[in-house]
Amino acid sequence: MTFEPKIVGFLCNWCSYTGADLAGTSRIHYAANVRIIRVMCSARIDPTFVLKALHDGADGVLICGCHPGDCHYSEGNYKMMRRYPLLKALLADYGIEKDRVRLEWVSASEGQRFADIVNDMTERVRALGPSSIKTALATDMAER
Amino acid sequence: MEDLKIGVYVCNCGTNIAKVVDCDATIESASRLPGVAIARPYKYMCSNPGQEMIVADIREHGLNRVVVAACSPRMHEPTFRKALQQAGVNPYFLEMANIREQCSWVHEDGAVATEKAKALVKAAVLRVARHEPLERRSVDMCPDLLVIGGGIAGMTAALDLADAGSKIYLVERADHLGGNLARVDLTAPYLDSARDMLTDRMTRVVEHPNISLLLNSEVERLEGFVGNFQATIATKARNGNAADQVATVDVGSVVVCTGYKEFDASRITHYGYGKLPNVITSFEFEKMLREGGVETKEGKAPQYVAIIHCVGSRNLEFHAYCSRVCCMTALKYAHEVKSAVPGAYVSDIYIDMHAFGKGHEDFYRRSSEVKTLFLMYAKDDYPVIRRADAKDDCEMLIEVNESLSGETIEIPADMVILMVGMEARDDWADVAHLVNISGDKDGWFIESHPKLDPVATTTDGIYIAGACQAPKDIPDSVAQARAAAARILGRIAKGKLEIDAVFAEVDEDKCSGCRMCNELCPYTAIEFDAEKKRSHIISALCKACGACVAACPSGAIAARHFTDAQIFAQIEGVLA
Repeated sequence: MTFEPKIVGFLCNWCSYTGADLAGTSRIHYAANVRIIRVMCSARIDPTFVLKALHDGADGVLICGCHPGDCHYSEGNYKMMRRYPLLKALLADYGIEKDRVRLEWVSASEGQRFADIVNDMTERVRALGPSSIKTALATDMAER
Repeated sequence: MEDLKIGVYVCNCGTNIAKVVDCDATIESASRLPGVAIARPYKYMCSNPGQEMIVADIREHGLNRVVVAACSPRMHEPTFRKALQQAGVNPYFLEMANIREQCSWVHEDGAVATEKAKALVKAAVLRVARHEPLERRSVDMCPDLLVIGGGIAGMTAALDLADAGSKIYLVERADHLGGNLARVDLTAPYLDSARDMLTDRMTRVVEHPNISLLLNSEVERLEGFVGNFQATIATKARNGNAADQVATVDVGSVVVCTGYKEFDASRITHYGYGKLPNVITSFEFEKMLREGGVETKEGKAPQYVAIIHCVGSRNLEFHAYCSRVCCMTALKYAHEVKSAVPGAYVSDIYIDMHAFGKGHEDFYRRSSEVKTLFLMYAKDDYPVIRRADAKDDCEMLIEVNESLSGETIEIPADMVILMVGMEARDDWADVAHLVNISGDKDGWFIESHPKLDPVATTTDGIYIAGACQAPKDIPDSVAQARAAAARILGRIAKGKLEIDAVFAEVDEDKCSGCRMCNELCPYTAIEFDAEKKRSHIISALCKACGACVAACPSGAIAARHFTDAQIFAQIEGVLA
């Protein structure tokens, strides 16, 4: 059986969540591996959300916000953009492969782009296999 | 805290959800979740009986939280919040699971989609258990308005709104009003003059004391939210050396009426457009009519005029949709050719005759009576136009595989009119970006609901009217413009606008006074109390982005309705 990764998606309400809705109204089919959680702005995404998701068994985390310059709140996405390299550096220290956490800009009119990103990310994470954090936790549990 | 009693409702949405997601299995799985007191499916949760079901269950079973698994919360969250309110429960004790736009419509495999739906419902149940009661805020609604586009739709919306007393900024990119309608001669089916129709409107717009008409202008930026937008408008200087004038105005709502452009006929090579001089587009023919003479490029009166329908429309290679106005316009041409050149023969080469509107079928019948030769061709089996030989008494010959007779017919033509369809303007995506709305695969702007809310969009306060939403004729564009105006006036009449109760709050006991959040806020909603050495959020200014919440090193700021605990619960739910 092929490995079906579980990916948590954090999407901003104004652009990306609406873009994901547009993929739906346009009946664009894509992989069912991403489970979407709506936040008002990508700036609301606390790095602990990503860590929590990975800890709770996510094989990947997708973060989507408005394109630079298009943020509903002027510049929230820039705040996410600044936080992201720090988060990636931290994840690298934990040995988490870089393809597992991804930041993308999806506008309200980019339903197709959202579907393409989900499909691409699903394939990449599938190729990586289950997250090592998950495996480590499972081993940890077994040893106890 | 009182015991949780959660009601879970799974909408079938007719078959929109139910044909992919196993709703009964989703219900069954939800009924086993902690705190769930009742779990029921229904055909249409957003219908009155659907909402009444929730109200009745709240009253009968004492439910204190509700999860509706249905369409996007961007569609019906307000509907279900109202239902909760009606039943006396705080409207924020609702959570929706998006199992239509983000599940049944995007996945084919029923088993996989059902598993996803179960996870989304679980996330919603775990989240709603952590919801807190919130009170809505009300803000002033700016009565001034922005209308983008000065075609028939834009002018109509502007006039209705201005007549009601609002100040209107009507922004038009060109140096004149009228849009595409200003390029048209007579209108179908009553053959009245577009010019007469427009002149009256244009004069009223120009003279209206409440309309500030900005020609040669474009909206550069739109910021803010419903009731309180700030639009930055740039007006091109008349003198090339002078700088553009830029002004920022406050508006409460925006009507987007940016119209359409015509299909480029040279994309269909069979018709020789651009190569054969007397193959012209419908708009070129309109120009000829407006200038008062129907003649070939050689200056002769055409004896044979052929009209070809569906140029760029109803064709998978170009646009699959019907452009809606061309059939009646083609019939109008038959009349106009006959009146300009009484002896001319007119052939009308069509795929299907779409005569759906009021008076259209009558017009079709009358046109058949003025000796127009109707020839039907099959979709994708284009008629082919070639130059006639010297011996022929015409300029061109058109070969048509005529569907009704099953024969290949060659017809003469001195002039061929291509009924070019409508398409979205090249910069539709820029406009969509500007006002934060969506366009469909063809670039037409998307309405809030295709049937029940055709003038609003997914962004509150942004309305669409006219052909920027889809190909439309004049009466439909006018109706949509007036509907948008009525919707806006309804909101202005209230004066105040109820807005979300969602904003951020600082827990002063946890705040260390580091002031990290102060600079982050795009709305300068965070104040620092120097005496207490604590930051404080002015809730009326906060727009709830949550940037400060994620940045606070002490975890002292909470985003109401998007708390860490609520999002953590959702993470646990989707991963279960």
